[in-house]
Amino acid sequence: MLRSIINRLLGMIVVMAIVVTIVFVIVRVTPGDPAAVMLGPEATAADIAALRTKLGLDGSILEQFGHYVLGVVQGDFGQSIFLNQPVTEALAQRAEPTFFLTIFSLLIATVIALPVGILSAYWRGSIFDQAATTVAMFAASVPSFWLGLLLMQFFAVKLGWFNTSGYGGPGASLSERLNHLVLPALALGLVSSALITRFTRASMLDVLNDDYVRTARSKGMSEWRVVLKHAFKNALIPILTVLGLTAALLISGAVVTETVFGLPGVGNLVVSAVLRRDYPVIQGALLVIAGLYVLVNFGIDMLYLLVDPRVRY
Amino acid sequence: MKHMTTIAISLAAMLLPATGVAWGQAKGGVIDVATIGEPPTLDPMASTADLVGIVTQHIYETLYTFDKDWGVTPLLAADMPQISADGKTYTIALRTGIKFHDGSDMNSTDVVASLQRWMKVATRGKQTAETVTAIEAVDDNTIKITLNKPFAPLLSLLSLNNAAAIIIPSEVAAQDPLTSFVGTGPYMLKERKPDQFIQLARFDGYKSRDGEANGYGGARKQYLDEIRFVPVPDPNTRIEGAVSGQFAYVDSLPVESFDKISGGKTAPVMLKPFGWPVFFMNTKEGLNSDIKIRKAIQAALAPKDMMLAAFGSEEFFSIDGAMYPQGYKWHSETGTEPYKPEGDTEAATALLKEAGYDGSKPLRILTSRQYEFHYKLAQVAAEYLKAAGFKVQMDVVEWATLTKNRTDPALWDIYITHSPFLPEPSLTGFMSDTAPGWWVSDKKREVLGAFNAESDPAKRIALWPAVQQAVYDEVPAFKVGNFNALAAQAPNLKGVTPAPWPYFWNAYLEAK
Repeated sequence: MLRSIINRLLGMIVVMAIVVTIVFVIVRVTPGDPAAVMLGPEATAADIAALRTKLGLDGSILEQFGHYVLGVVQGDFGQSIFLNQPVTEALAQRAEPTFFLTIFSLLIATVIALPVGILSAYWRGSIFDQAATTVAMFAASVPSFWLGLLLMQFFAVKLGWFNTSGYGGPGASLSERLNHLVLPALALGLVSSALITRFTRASMLDVLNDDYVRTARSKGMSEWRVVLKHAFKNALIPILTVLGLTAALLISGAVVTETVFGLPGVGNLVVSAVLRRDYPVIQGALLVIAGLYVLVNFGIDMLYLLVDPRVRY
Repeated sequence: MKHMTTIAISLAAMLLPATGVAWGQAKGGVIDVATIGEPPTLDPMASTADLVGIVTQHIYETLYTFDKDWGVTPLLAADMPQISADGKTYTIALRTGIKFHDGSDMNSTDVVASLQRWMKVATRGKQTAETVTAIEAVDDNTIKITLNKPFAPLLSLLSLNNAAAIIIPSEVAAQDPLTSFVGTGPYMLKERKPDQFIQLARFDGYKSRDGEANGYGGARKQYLDEIRFVPVPDPNTRIEGAVSGQFAYVDSLPVESFDKISGGKTAPVMLKPFGWPVFFMNTKEGLNSDIKIRKAIQAALAPKDMMLAAFGSEEFFSIDGAMYPQGYKWHSETGTEPYKPEGDTEAATALLKEAGYDGSKPLRILTSRQYEFHYKLAQVAAEYLKAAGFKVQMDVVEWATLTKNRTDPALWDIYITHSPFLPEPSLTGFMSDTAPGWWVSDKKREVLGAFNAESDPAKRIALWPAVQQAVYDEVPAFKVGNFNALAAQAPNLKGVTPAPWPYFWNAYLEAK
């Protein structure tokens, strides 16, 4: 067990080192220039060159990379070119909406997907199963931003129950801010629930006909006890994987949904940083997102160890 | 027609209070203004981006600004400057009793320090610096600007709100980048949460000019307690925000959403015309360094079809070759004969043949989809150019890449952009020798030099047609037409005058 954990931790360090390098190279080879964006359409080439020097962008790539890695190792992701604040501070400010959006979306997705997936598998071939499969297929094919716009039109524009966008003005209370998350969380949760439903159904189908399920039934256990305690517990590993990956995807900011709903989260920060070529923010944000993916995967691997002690890394 | 009636009613409703009817102008209230995004900086010297100017013009002020006819009018200056007979010395008296947001008084030391920072930091300031010999304080309330040659655009440059010559305290002027956002404007920065809001609150120490409001000039009333600029980068979300009535004002809406906005809780506001899409030609390198090729492009392009594809309906654009539309003092038809609404493919083909173009080298059009109409203009243009015999290569990149690539003459032949009608013609991008396109010629030097050296406004108007003639003769750029801008405004928000850079001093909320 301990050896498995150490192996996974070492793997994580290697992965993060590769991520740092790839992110830096991709950001620098992408055409575009933060100096040109900042100075606006009337700026001359000389103005742009002068600002590049001021921003430290005129050094060689290797020089800049060395400087960057040194900073990262010390926990310093640099200073945002446009926000006039450290990248870590910018990320911390955006964490709240993204965190709550992730929690709400996952909650919505799980509450819908697990019961529907289990029932679909149990009543395989029934009208319920066919309807659930069709709806899940449809939901999986719908882009979350499109669903978001539909929800916005109905609940915000037609019924006036919510704001169309934003995260509350100055002095907005936590409940006011969370109110802004209802529609984006619904959009993300509904779309995510489709995938989790499909996985839950498939995973349950795999185990429902296994010997230990038959044995449990022959012992005279109630049907729901057999399904939930014996079958579902053994179907959990693939479901956990999907839940983990969905969570990581949502933590990474649900980029498009945050932009559509004007939420000042991590995803929105990444989009605006890319559009402005705010190199330190792009690098810092991608590094944190990659780190979260790695951590979530690590967490899932540890859960595997708990759920199935036969697993070894 | 239905649109035109709605536009007329909307405009009439908004202009009514501005005509002197002073009912219901109660102090108080907070408005949310949806903008196209987060401004890249709150230092208006550091950027020419319109969004920066829109937000920061409430915080900072300049010595001069523009009246409703786009004439220069004093703002922090007490009056128009005294200009010496040789046009090289501007003596500017300052208003007294003006306070900065930090409570300190404005004096000539602050103004001199601010203008020196402007010449060091701002794109327009750096251009001006080439003609400035000295800026000095004459006394506490007077400054003097000495030039090495007469330079008429100076006052317009001191008036613009982007790359702006804002006046800030002398100690703040030492900052680069700016970290203290202290101005003299009617509203002061209270809180900024990037990508969430920029909160401006009424500055109680503000001293307005006397008299009536007049465009960006004249009296600036502070009816509203707060103005909050909320970034809503997605255009569809801005439309839904306008329809639902979430915002008091929504800026920069796609014109095709006019009908949808009309049926919502905010009224559409059409600024007609707002600006002009333009094809910049790379006169320095490549195919377009040959004037015959540029002339062939001028003949080949069909503005009517291009604008129709870009804006959908003739209610949202007009076909006009003059660089300034009717209603502007700079309007002139001189030289616009080569502008053919339907294009002239035959003439273009003949010009190409004369230029010896064999079709082996592609004409590279650099554009982006940041502004969808740029891309649509490019698509139609490409077809007309192909019909004339050009081989066309569309280089569609993202906006940040375009802003970088256009500074390299090796990478493009045409790039597409747009501009509002700037109050001073010589500020138009291609008038500068160093702007991407790099238009330099004896004719340009002669006509633009005469135009820029003349300080008498009436004589300048008479000199402008010669500059426009040179633009049509040498084709450094191709103006496609005029287009309108759409915004949306809450029915109870009054006192907002449609403008390319909307402003909300003088705006008030009418009791419902």
